[in-house]
Amino acid sequence: MGHEAVRQPITEAHTPQTIATSAQPLLNVQGLSVRFDGAPKGVNVVDDVSFSVSKGKTLCIVGESGCGKSVTSLALMGLLPTPPARIVGGSAMFDGQDLLTLTERERADLRGDRMAMIFQEPMTSLNPAFTIGDQIAEGIVRHRRVSKAEAMERALDMLKKVRIPAPEKRLRAYPHEMSGGMRQRVMIAMALANDPQLLIADEPTTALDVTIQAQILTLIRRLQEETGTAMILITHDLGVVAEVADEVAVMYAGRVVESGPVEAIFEDPQHPYTIGLMGSVPSLGRRQGRLATIRGTVPPAELMPKGCRFTPRCPFADTRCANDPPPLAEIKPGHRARCWYAPLEIHRGAAS
Amino acid sequence: MSVMPSSDIILEGVGLKKHFGSGGLLSSPTVVRAVDGVSLGVRRGETFAIVGESGCGKSTLGRLLLRLIEPSDGDVRYEGRSILKLNKSELRRLRRDLQIIFQDPFASLNPRMNVGDIIAEPIWLHDLASGREKRERVADLMRTVGLLPTHADRYPHEFSGGQRQRIGIARALAGDPKLIVGDEPVSALDVSIQAQIINLLEDLKDRFGLTLVIVAHDLAVIRHMSDRVAVMYLGEIVELSETDALFDNPLHPYTQALLAAIPIPSPANRQPKALLQGDVPSPAAPPSGCRFHTRCPHARTLCKEQHPALETAPDGRQVACHFWREIQGAGAGSISAPPPSAALAKRLALYRTWRERQDKPVATSP
Repeated sequence: MGHEAVRQPITEAHTPQTIATSAQPLLNVQGLSVRFDGAPKGVNVVDDVSFSVSKGKTLCIVGESGCGKSVTSLALMGLLPTPPARIVGGSAMFDGQDLLTLTERERADLRGDRMAMIFQEPMTSLNPAFTIGDQIAEGIVRHRRVSKAEAMERALDMLKKVRIPAPEKRLRAYPHEMSGGMRQRVMIAMALANDPQLLIADEPTTALDVTIQAQILTLIRRLQEETGTAMILITHDLGVVAEVADEVAVMYAGRVVESGPVEAIFEDPQHPYTIGLMGSVPSLGRRQGRLATIRGTVPPAELMPKGCRFTPRCPFADTRCANDPPPLAEIKPGHRARCWYAPLEIHRGAAS
Repeated sequence: MSVMPSSDIILEGVGLKKHFGSGGLLSSPTVVRAVDGVSLGVRRGETFAIVGESGCGKSTLGRLLLRLIEPSDGDVRYEGRSILKLNKSELRRLRRDLQIIFQDPFASLNPRMNVGDIIAEPIWLHDLASGREKRERVADLMRTVGLLPTHADRYPHEFSGGQRQRIGIARALAGDPKLIVGDEPVSALDVSIQAQIINLLEDLKDRFGLTLVIVAHDLAVIRHMSDRVAVMYLGEIVELSETDALFDNPLHPYTQALLAAIPIPSPANRQPKALLQGDVPSPAAPPSGCRFHTRCPHARTLCKEQHPALETAPDGRQVACHFWREIQGAGAGSISAPPPSAALAKRLALYRTWRERQDKPVATSP
């Protein structure tokens, strides 16, 4: 992680001492594989996924629908319904414990306390029958030995922390009385109420308007700097990734196809999928001709190729790609790509 | 973008208003002013974008322009003629010329009809063809939008989101329209599929000489596709301008804030942002004076009291702000998207070369 020096502080309130990281990652996921019952043999919905996050850092997992990014995060939180989903391999070391071997009881103690999650749709993840204050306090009472009144006090502090106007009034409000942006702030307040070490945010701004998205991203970043929480942010928006990530993992059809520091991914992308994705996004500058596209769609599980899963859509693919799965090989220190022909200009250059 | 749009107006909205709702028997009336006095003209052959945040009235405006809903006040003119006084058969004729593509391809197709019938329905309705000729036309349309004609007997649930959007586009094309309104046509799709549909819409526009009206919230998509942009806030147009001029030098403070909020896909250029505070006020109780004054960083007393008119700037752009001249100097706005890195540019070029080759050998549906 030698790119700290490059990262520009983004918010006005910036505390340098919390940026310093320990060498040991807080969460280290190795070879995580998840299988759904009934899927064809050998096709895991999440296959051999590895990544790590350090204290105070942000890892962005990028990918399109069905790439397994949400399943990965649910597996880490212990929220996958089993059956049909089964974790068939891998480990997830969180602060010295393997999350995947914990009992349900131990998991429940961890969830909402040392690790917490923010979901995409704040309306469906809040309970419409309880007030905001009750819902935030519930998680505090569950994990801390405090009275209801003390928990409410803490809930009020959290609402102030996420900059909700008139927090005393909002404490007694119901979710439907708030706008989408305000509800997402409540979700964040709830997730951070017990000072978690790890926060997983699954598309936290996708349902929001762009000006509200900018507010929420700034808020998350500021809170992260204040608390030193490690964050896994799941998104499909490359712009969001460029704004908040330290490390990036690009996922395609259940596998990490490229990973590395955010600068490396944007300045020096290696995998054809990453490159195709960047060519698919319209530029904000003056028009540069037609968009590059990625052919077709993600194949269904029964048609998934044996080798590299991007083969049917990849312009560079050949029979080797279809039959042998490429390893997630290191291209430069810390920058890995799962492609036989990376770097492309060497193996596929000269447009022969 | 290929045809230079002329200034002749194909579709025009004049002082359009749409107010929804009123009180029940016992409650005091709440009227939502979804669209409140909008005038605009869409030029023949151009791509005209309507942009704004949720609740700004952009979708309502799109539907008003097609008379899918009746305006509370104002007029819509197609080819210079009001479409509000048309009778049933005239309106049906009009529906051939003006078509719409919806945002959600999952909800806008009848799940109990097969794709062939969905696309054939407008052909049958307008009595354009029948029997074998009709089937051929359907097959043609499916090829045009990149679907396999052999899939005509399948049902919508058997297709992916991108393919469903193609079905919606084929159906919109079936009656040989002159103008298509796309209501967030790509926002429900994944990035890679979104690019396919954007390219398809542009190809079709060129091929059939269409005029496009795109209602969207994604500013990057709008910059890429459109010739002119209208920015809406709380039911009103606050700025209307050529696309490049708007993005290079936004005049209205709301446009400036909107552009500043877009995440820039370049980690090396992270910058602190001037953020817009607060939420959009309720359109049922819009603020007095300038509707943006509650969130505007430049607001003064005059803004609270007096409603700014949409005035024309010297270069033909329109802006509704009392102080747009002074604000311009404040340096806010204009987004600088840095060019892609050398490595990315090189590999993108390589990707395009190989991608073209990939399409050549067999003309399959993407």
